[in-house]
Amino acid sequence: MLDFLQAVSDGLLFGATYALIGIGFTLVFGVMHKLNLAYAAASVGAAYAGLLILQLAAGAPPWVVFLCAFLGGGVLGWLVYVTCFHFIPLSNPLAPLMATVGMLLLIDEIIVHLTAGMPQNYPAMFDDVMLRAGEFTLRGDLLLVAGVSVVCMIALLALLYRTRLGLATRAVSQQAVAAQLCGIRVGQVNAMTFIVTGLLGGIAGALIGASVGALSPLLTAPLTVKGLIVTVIGGLGSIPGAIVAGLLVGALENVFQQFRGVTERDLYVMLLLFAFLIFRPSGLFKQ
Amino acid sequence: MDFYYGLAQTVGIHTLLGLSAYIVLLTGQVTLAQAAFFAIGAYAAGMLTVLAGWHIVPALGASAMFGAATACAVGFPALRVKGLMLVVATLAFGEGVRLFFFNFDYQVAKGEIKVGPLGGEGFRQIRYFQEHGWSTGEVMLFVWVFVVLAMAALWWLDRSRYGAVLRAVGEDELAAQSVGVNLTAVKVSAMTVGGAVAGIGGGLYAHYTTHIEHANFNVLLATFAIAYPIVGGLKNVFGTLAAVIFVQAFLIEGLRFLGDWRNLLFGALIVAAMNLRPQGFLGGRRA
Amino acid sequence: MGAGVLELKGLSRHFGGIKAVDGLDLTVRQGEIVGLIGPNGSGKSTTVNVIAGLFPVTSGEVRFNNESLEGLPTHKRLQRGIARTFQNIRLFGQLSVWQNLWVAQNAPEDHARRGFIARWLGGQSGVRAEIAQLLEFSGLAHKQDELAANLAFGEQRRLELARALAAKPKLLLLDEPAAGMNSEEIGQLRDRILKLRAQGITILLIEHVMELVMGVTDRIAVLNFGQKIAEGRPAEIQADPLVRKAYLGGA
Repeated sequence: MLDFLQAVSDGLLFGATYALIGIGFTLVFGVMHKLNLAYAAASVGAAYAGLLILQLAAGAPPWVVFLCAFLGGGVLGWLVYVTCFHFIPLSNPLAPLMATVGMLLLIDEIIVHLTAGMPQNYPAMFDDVMLRAGEFTLRGDLLLVAGVSVVCMIALLALLYRTRLGLATRAVSQQAVAAQLCGIRVGQVNAMTFIVTGLLGGIAGALIGASVGALSPLLTAPLTVKGLIVTVIGGLGSIPGAIVAGLLVGALENVFQQFRGVTERDLYVMLLLFAFLIFRPSGLFKQ
Repeated sequence: MDFYYGLAQTVGIHTLLGLSAYIVLLTGQVTLAQAAFFAIGAYAAGMLTVLAGWHIVPALGASAMFGAATACAVGFPALRVKGLMLVVATLAFGEGVRLFFFNFDYQVAKGEIKVGPLGGEGFRQIRYFQEHGWSTGEVMLFVWVFVVLAMAALWWLDRSRYGAVLRAVGEDELAAQSVGVNLTAVKVSAMTVGGAVAGIGGGLYAHYTTHIEHANFNVLLATFAIAYPIVGGLKNVFGTLAAVIFVQAFLIEGLRFLGDWRNLLFGALIVAAMNLRPQGFLGGRRA
Repeated sequence: MGAGVLELKGLSRHFGGIKAVDGLDLTVRQGEIVGLIGPNGSGKSTTVNVIAGLFPVTSGEVRFNNESLEGLPTHKRLQRGIARTFQNIRLFGQLSVWQNLWVAQNAPEDHARRGFIARWLGGQSGVRAEIAQLLEFSGLAHKQDELAANLAFGEQRRLELARALAAKPKLLLLDEPAAGMNSEEIGQLRDRILKLRAQGITILLIEHVMELVMGVTDRIAVLNFGQKIAEGRPAEIQADPLVRKAYLGGA
């Protein structure tokens, strides 16, 4: 029982990063009704970008790395927007999707090139801190991961519901043409959406690197799949859905791993997705 | 000369993969499951020739049937999932199949050694062509017989009423229903035909590489499958062929002198192609 | 005239709290041309969509040739003989005029007459004559290979109608076919509709353009806020003060 609770709590804390990735996918879908398949790759890429700062300032504290990843994510997000959604006519259903696939491959390859394919160590904070309650432990670094994720989610929700940009974004997601007629620059809103989700993704990538202890380009594919699973389970376009689903997938994944091992774990997560697709295809929350 | 035969074999097999996605894309369903049907065909044909001593042609027939049957089974739940969710669902299915083969053991003793699929190790010694003395040229011709048959069959379907109905469904499902088209029958049948073609492609692939493993049938292969028809354009089957030749021959072999930078180019070229010509090389207009 | 081809009995379709159609009773008899008019939002298009099977009924019944249509999906209703056109024209833009008609040839008698192979995998030659007839009727023969998206607006409307006819319907639901037409085009449309009636097709015409409605229908039903407020011959409807009030507003 204790093992189970431990697995759940660790999983929940880690699942906060899945929630961030899920939010990124779901927000772009909600606003532009398109899937950005390059998102997880850009998040990992931003995490790597964070590492670049260590090249320049060798002793920089971890939070500087995280900050660089955060900012790098914004830049990458904008880049993906320009290459995949700015010039390509959005009425074409397949071309933007394929372009994001191209960006996914490109970002992955750039990472492999720059690091010669070797995994890179990632700085962590509070990894030596362990809060204990008898046999039950809460890892300090995971707590930080969860804490930062929560702060980001709150910031995002504040942005969406308390600012003009957020209002414009919500308007565009509901009725893009009408929003345009009201004077909202849809192109700008779309670009901002990508930048904001990119920032979130950068932080998510950094947090994942921090909790795992290392970054590797092999992270991209599983993270993309998991992010999409979280998005679908949560309901395409729903931010609360992505949050809940991210935590759920994080927790369940860890529980599966605890009881059935790593090789079968992913199969069970897949089955979870299929269960949702069959019984509740619109996800936990509708948009 | 062997080098060119090998290249032609690769082009042929990838064309079959691309064609399997082409017919499904016509109906407006974006599928990342074709690599899964390809994998099923590969393992099925391999097991039949190696473990059961079948002749290659009926083994490929079985591949086609297994591919078709699986695709048909996937086609029905796929109907319930709309638009971009289908991308995620088929991606997850593909990963599920890959994970299945990652865990799949079925070995039989042949003389002193054991042959057959062995989980993560894969399936080695699929040596039908070698054991029966086929030259590389003969294998290439054999592959291309199937490619030509598949292209002819799909070209003919394209010109028939079924082809027009497929495209009508891809364009406007509501209008298609209202003129009497049975959406379920059309979408599932397209998926089934695609599964059969992918199955044959997989069976040929297994014998051409002689060693297959789960990692061959990953998300990357699934994206290749749809990249070919999208980059080539959905106007007719030659678009897919042109895209395969472009990618495999030009990029991977022709630019070999670029060394490792080729892979970078692949992603960048897809992004460029989608920006410059979103409707694909040949365009989307019906031939 | 004959038995009721289409019967709407107490038909209601609610969307949440909105009663788009509320307790509608309407009978259309064989060979009639019945008009359905009313101000915007009165439930006309919803009625068509329910008859065509796009929405299930909230309560009430739709009967066609004395059989309930309940639970029947849209494509099966087409096979029973109900075809419709769309207010906003939903052609297959990337297919040619010819192909638009070809895709729509789903009448059961066609299916019975030709084998499965011929019907689905056959080429164009087997059906040239029939499609030529439809093209002739709609004045589109000279444009048969043109992409539907490239047609002029009036031509698109004619193709929309021709496509609905391709399945040899017994009941035709026309959803605002005259929108955006000039007087000459309306006259041509009127003639076409009368020709269709002469061929034995029953027609339910949803329309705003009074020129067409008054000139071609046998009977008119008037909807307001989802309910039928009047029914009768064109002349009676024109004189009805309730109808006037519905269109012009008023307490």
